Amino acid sequence: MNVANKSYPEERLERSPDHSLVPPCQSACPLHMDIREYVGLVSQGKIMEALQVIRTGNPFPSICAYVCTHPCEDACRRSQVDKPIAIRALKRFAVEFGGDRLIGAEAETRHKEKVAIVGSGPAGLSCAYYLKKSGYPVTILEAHSELGGMLRIGIPQYRLPRDVLDIEVQRLTRMGVEIRTNTRVVSLDLLFELGYKAVFITIGAHQSLRMGIEGEESAGVIDGATFLREVNLGLKPSLGRRVAVVGGGNVAIDAARTAIRLGVKNVSILYRRSRAEMPAEPGEVEQALEEGIDIKYLVTPTRIKRENKRLTVTCIRMELGEPDESGRQRPVPIKDSEFVEELDTLIGAIGQAPQAPSDFGVRLGRGSTIQVDPGTLTTNRAGVFAGGDAVTGPATVTEALAAGRLAAFRIDDYLRHRYPLPGKEDREKLSGDLLPETIEMIRKIERVEPPSLTVAARAKDFGTVELVYGWEQATNEARRCLRCGIGVEILFQDKCASCLTCLRACPYHVPYLDASGTVRIPADQCQACGICVAECPAKAIVLRKPFDRRQVTEELGHTVKSLAEAKNKPFIIGFGCQYGLFGTGSLARLWRGAKAGVWIVPVLCVAKVEATHLLAAFETGAEGVFIAGCGEQCARENTIYWVQQRVARVRKVLKPIGLEPERLQVFALGAAAEDPAAELDRFVEQVSALRLASVIMGEVKS
Amino acid sequence: MIVAEQKPFEEIRRMITPYERVLILGCGTCMTVCDAGGEREVSFLHNALRLAQARSGDVAHTFSEYTLKRQCDPEFLELLPEKVADVDVVLSLGCGIGVQAIAESFPEMPVLPGVNTSFMGMTKESGVWDERCAACGDCRLEDTAGICPITRCTKGILNGPCAGTKKGKCEANKDMDCAWILIYQRLERLQQLDKMRRYYPPRNFRTIPRPRRIVTKAAVVTGEGDG
Repeated sequence: MNVANKSYPEERLERSPDHSLVPPCQSACPLHMDIREYVGLVSQGKIMEALQVIRTGNPFPSICAYVCTHPCEDACRRSQVDKPIAIRALKRFAVEFGGDRLIGAEAETRHKEKVAIVGSGPAGLSCAYYLKKSGYPVTILEAHSELGGMLRIGIPQYRLPRDVLDIEVQRLTRMGVEIRTNTRVVSLDLLFELGYKAVFITIGAHQSLRMGIEGEESAGVIDGATFLREVNLGLKPSLGRRVAVVGGGNVAIDAARTAIRLGVKNVSILYRRSRAEMPAEPGEVEQALEEGIDIKYLVTPTRIKRENKRLTVTCIRMELGEPDESGRQRPVPIKDSEFVEELDTLIGAIGQAPQAPSDFGVRLGRGSTIQVDPGTLTTNRAGVFAGGDAVTGPATVTEALAAGRLAAFRIDDYLRHRYPLPGKEDREKLSGDLLPETIEMIRKIERVEPPSLTVAARAKDFGTVELVYGWEQATNEARRCLRCGIGVEILFQDKCASCLTCLRACPYHVPYLDASGTVRIPADQCQACGICVAECPAKAIVLRKPFDRRQVTEELGHTVKSLAEAKNKPFIIGFGCQYGLFGTGSLARLWRGAKAGVWIVPVLCVAKVEATHLLAAFETGAEGVFIAGCGEQCARENTIYWVQQRVARVRKVLKPIGLEPERLQVFALGAAAEDPAAELDRFVEQVSALRLASVIMGEVKS
Repeated sequence: MIVAEQKPFEEIRRMITPYERVLILGCGTCMTVCDAGGEREVSFLHNALRLAQARSGDVAHTFSEYTLKRQCDPEFLELLPEKVADVDVVLSLGCGIGVQAIAESFPEMPVLPGVNTSFMGMTKESGVWDERCAACGDCRLEDTAGICPITRCTKGILNGPCAGTKKGKCEANKDMDCAWILIYQRLERLQQLDKMRRYYPPRNFRTIPRPRRIVTKAAVVTGEGDG
């Protein structure tokens, strides 16, 4: 007979599931950040670790924490259930509580090729950060007196506090990046003559587009970019009492909200389309409305006349016609619908374009943007790279940071004479919607919005509008994450007995039988609750660490190692949910203030605790063992039911072993839960009594 | 599928008493499906036995564990020699067949049954199994609309129902359906009620010679054609 002498697949257990789908949040992020990972860490209260993950993917996380337009949240699959995870607010929490304001050490210079970065906006700063980290001498050349580009002169302070920006800039200085402010670059040839081997142009898009209407040159009419720059540089332009902003983008909203903060009582926005087409961030629009800004939709100015130091602005009403090339409906003027607005100041914020000096000699494309190869960011000139708004036209800070990082990597390739082929995403992206039957079973949990400044307080100065989460708010929000694509895998298909336990136990109806009769658990639907992993009688299903059974075993090991020598108190082990209430929420004090003798093994949801873990806990010598889960407040379905099943199984063997079944208890928070602290106290007393009884019995015997 | 349940823990402990080194051997087929002796149960029993030993303070045994894909075939058992080389007993969580297959393959090795092999049946719902076949060797399911009176009727009668049926339930157990009422209803649905009118002579189970053997291969002389 021919049988291979296979060894027991114990070592295979060390393998982790093969698939790891890129979740939608990560693929939507320009920086491709591992959002699922850090949100998961926040939900466990591991803020430092979360920040470390954030730092790995983002050069300036505290900036993004304030101003990112969070495309990740738009892609979040939780919105198919209720509302997306508040990812940016969670990052802000991690940055604030994780101590991100520390300034890193100097980066070693390993190469001699100098690189010049023209412009110090987010793309420039990011490029400098990564080039310096790669060991290049880097010089930033900035036309203004301070670094930051649009971060400093475009974005208002109430959205990005300047001390946050200053700390990030200092980080670069500490790393050893050379900084030359008040230095406008007019010729690239000069830079190459000065010995720079590569140049990154990131000059932004600062030139406001003209409205192209009669009277635009009048006093009292200014453009949005100039207005924001003046205010951000500390000037206080006098605006009068009635101000209108023309446009519907973020700059228009910023200008209007800035005007409110300068004390103007009557601020309106004129936008030629309707709210649905408005390119500005919906959250920003919402806050603008809260602050009393009057947004007039389907209106555009046609003529400006200055009389008696005031502006008479003729406007016309619009209606939406056929879609244009951007896909949005084209606004068409309604005949004879003109009306007149009396204003003191009119701010035009209908768009901006880059303005590259012609001496740069770089080829320009549509809207005066610099033409580059999107994969390498190279321009038509050797050694000259470009990125950020100068290439894309006005875009987001995160996109600029991503462009800066890409430029740094490609400049490194260029200087090291590497010619990489266009990269291919090596991990499969998770796409597609959740199944309706899965959506139905996922518990709806209300999104926790971060607190914000009162409207009255906002009008006073430029204080940050959005405030940071409290600890419990953040962990509660983070545990809403569905952990897309992290789910279980039938890792040992050869062990699967096709018993269908997983199919029957899954609360979300994820496992199914394919046409050949093989059980499949699609990773893009799995909610990683872990029930099937513990219930599989063949132990064929595996979750990725740290959700796996191996993690529970390791945690138990750590706990036992840290046990105190003296054991005169009853020694009790509890498996406590690390999420939400018991781990990081209001019940965490149960652990922190736990009586001596009570040791907690943190687990990522009690559904992952198996019968063998409970036995192993007793084996360490524990006199009592309990499981503490969130019960009805658990983010997952049916968890306590399965815990009770396993507990019943273990209790059955405890008795013949000589341990009273009541030494094993489950604490779960019901709707009308009694004080869990009192319950735990009672359990400790109960175990103490059992201990006393057995001591007496022992004495009687001897 | 063969359905079994794990033996009471005390009994298992009693059985292993004379042996020092115990291999707990699971089975990856029926015993896994019926939750009696798959890899998960092997681990559970392993932990429980270790705990019991630690509690009693009498360190008499060492345990190891392994789960075969199936215990009832010698080829699978060939994977074992290394594992059984340094143990004194195999505690098999296979069904009665598995236990005997081990006994046959390892003449020198004592083997203990860890489960009570109960019946042939199917899953009713997660964690619940029902008997469906008595392996009587003379299947009459054609006449009884696919419902077996031998296993599902408490009395196992071939011409039912008896007088004890009440509102479709059995007199022996009011929660259990009367198999013959089920047969009647299904024959009616299939328009084969005439089968109810037939008489089936009682069967003499003693005529079945044990142990039975089934041979599906034909007797062929190797190397010769038959034309």
